[in-house]
Amino acid sequence: MTRLTLAALAAAALAMGGPALAQDAPAAGQAPAEQSPEEKKQLEEQIAKELGASPGSATAPAAPTAPTAPTAPGEAPAGAPQGQAGGNPFARLLLLPDISAIGDFAAAYDSRDTAVDSPRSGPTSPPHQLKPLFQELELGLQSVVDPYARADVFISFAPEGVNVEEAYLTTLALPFGLQAKAGKFLSPFGRLNQQHPHVWDFVDAPLALDRLVSADQLKGPGLDVAWLSPLPWFAEVHLFGQTTTPAFEDKERRTVGARLLQYFDLGDAAALGLGLSAARLEEPVSGAWRDLGGVDLHLKLRPPQGRSYLALQGELFVRRLTDPALPDQADWGAYAQAVWRDGPYFAYGARYDFAPAFQNGRSGIVQTDGTEHRVSALATWLPSEFQRVRLQAAWDRLPGGRDGLELLMHLEFAIGAHGAHPF
Amino acid sequence: MNRLLLLLAAVCLPIQARAALDVVTTTEGLAALVHEVGGDRVKVQSLSRGIQDPHFVDANPTLAVKLRRADLLVDVGLDLEIGWLPPLVNQSRNPDIQPTGRRRFTAASVVNVLEVPRGPVDRSMGDLHPAGNPHFLSDPRRARKVAEGLARKLAELDGAGAATYQQRLADFERRLGADEARWRAELAPVKGRKLIPQHNSYTYFLDWAGLQAAGFLEPKPGVAPPPSHLAELVGVVKAQGVKAIVLENFYDRKSADVVAKHTGAKVVLLPGDVGGTPEARSYEGWVDQLVKLVAGAVR
Repeated sequence: MTRLTLAALAAAALAMGGPALAQDAPAAGQAPAEQSPEEKKQLEEQIAKELGASPGSATAPAAPTAPTAPTAPGEAPAGAPQGQAGGNPFARLLLLPDISAIGDFAAAYDSRDTAVDSPRSGPTSPPHQLKPLFQELELGLQSVVDPYARADVFISFAPEGVNVEEAYLTTLALPFGLQAKAGKFLSPFGRLNQQHPHVWDFVDAPLALDRLVSADQLKGPGLDVAWLSPLPWFAEVHLFGQTTTPAFEDKERRTVGARLLQYFDLGDAAALGLGLSAARLEEPVSGAWRDLGGVDLHLKLRPPQGRSYLALQGELFVRRLTDPALPDQADWGAYAQAVWRDGPYFAYGARYDFAPAFQNGRSGIVQTDGTEHRVSALATWLPSEFQRVRLQAAWDRLPGGRDGLELLMHLEFAIGAHGAHPF
Repeated sequence: MNRLLLLLAAVCLPIQARAALDVVTTTEGLAALVHEVGGDRVKVQSLSRGIQDPHFVDANPTLAVKLRRADLLVDVGLDLEIGWLPPLVNQSRNPDIQPTGRRRFTAASVVNVLEVPRGPVDRSMGDLHPAGNPHFLSDPRRARKVAEGLARKLAELDGAGAATYQQRLADFERRLGADEARWRAELAPVKGRKLIPQHNSYTYFLDWAGLQAAGFLEPKPGVAPPPSHLAELVGVVKAQGVKAIVLENFYDRKSADVVAKHTGAKVVLLPGDVGGTPEARSYEGWVDQLVKLVAGAVR
């Protein structure tokens, strides 16, 4: 499988970079070399062979970098560039926030009618059809507001319409280790739920997050207060109150929740994160509510001198519905994944997840009996830090042993100054 | 109960043993300079290691814990740490170490920066730092400016230690002056020689050492070299008599080895910062090793 995806990626690299390879612009500051074009071509081919697959993007060197100002060592001149915190220093001269856009496009191929048999938030196709999809364009506006707070705004342009994904203020100067977040934001519940999909390793969400927490990530307007404890390791407690929309429903519910997140350094090359989350959502029926619980684990193994790492991650979600008129109902689901980042340009992953089975029938999306299981494999090519191409293949088993193949191709790009991603 | 007491002791001990200032730096090179100037009056720790590529440090939340109690955060600036420092500072709950805070010292603010683009910049040029090249600490002249800035900042935050900081700064500058004379003597026979670095991270060092880059393994900053670029470099190395290809020891050396194989140039792995090798324990130790390795390779 790996060899197959590698071959596919190499083919894609050649297709994209092929014409550019024909250029032979000199590198910065080089005098023209005394080589005949034939000699150079031969040498190039031999070097390509010696290197194996050419690392990363196969783009050829082009024009030298922008002309730079001649300077002499010594004291910084007045108005010399100062080190800055993030984004484009020149944008900040104009008091502009950091502006970024992230585009997500996919092509899906499903062997069955996934939208009916296995409703979820990720990209799907009609049976046996390859369907190109525009998923989302996320516009980000981020800046400090004043010495006391910063603001982060993410607007999502998607086929369903334009939506304020998140828009919140974060305090920077509260005492006693406190930090408050107010506005509309992704609920601090679990690990994946708080990350924008373009941060996820896999193209789609685990079924359990869709089915038990929220189909479009649990989020909404509210307030989150987080306390960083004075303990010598990272231990943060969140208490939040929001209006949220749970899985596959459009009615908003009052929600309160809590999260404890801890991170430990295990020597030089490993960090372990452990999170516990709980939330209670008020149901529309009087006296009824739903409880959500979550445990998340994140172990990252990365020798400090390299760019490669192994990240193991898993989350378990539990949902319990309490309705005075009905018997209590509890469901659970989980995922576990491993991602191997092989240097700067490639990553490979495997994931197993399971969740209660759902169906999109005449009465809408409803839970059915039994559990759905799925295994997924992932190959990622990152030509640079600002572009990502992914291939994902999954084998999905519905209750009763009905199997389905799901293939996803995914393209993502980021332009502008986007804030650093969470660990 | 006993365990609780132990835990309490663990939490309280660092407070009891506290130096006058708790300084956190982003790199080991900056930490070494803080130690030169601050001595025992300051406790200094670096968020990254000298064996790491400082562009690609993980924003591990445990680093935010170090920033929480920091009396001073020292960073390189020029967007070197843009991929990981801002989220840590935001998580730290320490308002004074924000970019314009009084407990923040950005080393780039006191040095003359090279390679500041004077035209439109975009990412087709690679991972360019739009405010200039941030790898200035390998130049002792600029390290001296940073040490002077640090002494001023430390004195501002800890007035009682001002005389100590001045004294230690003077000691450091005197030692560095003697070192520089020795280094210059070692470099004199190779003045003007050319080499090929991986990334433009030794621009300042070469400028100080009187050496020249004939090209870079990376066709553009942060971009991996395709075979066509390496073939081009083989021609450059042969035509200009380049003796060495130098790269930090955290880079993959495959491309360097290929060019070396076709040209006979030497591949030399260098410590990227203080702590990058066991020998590079102090700032002087690091530059000393850079001088020895580079001068030896281009001789």
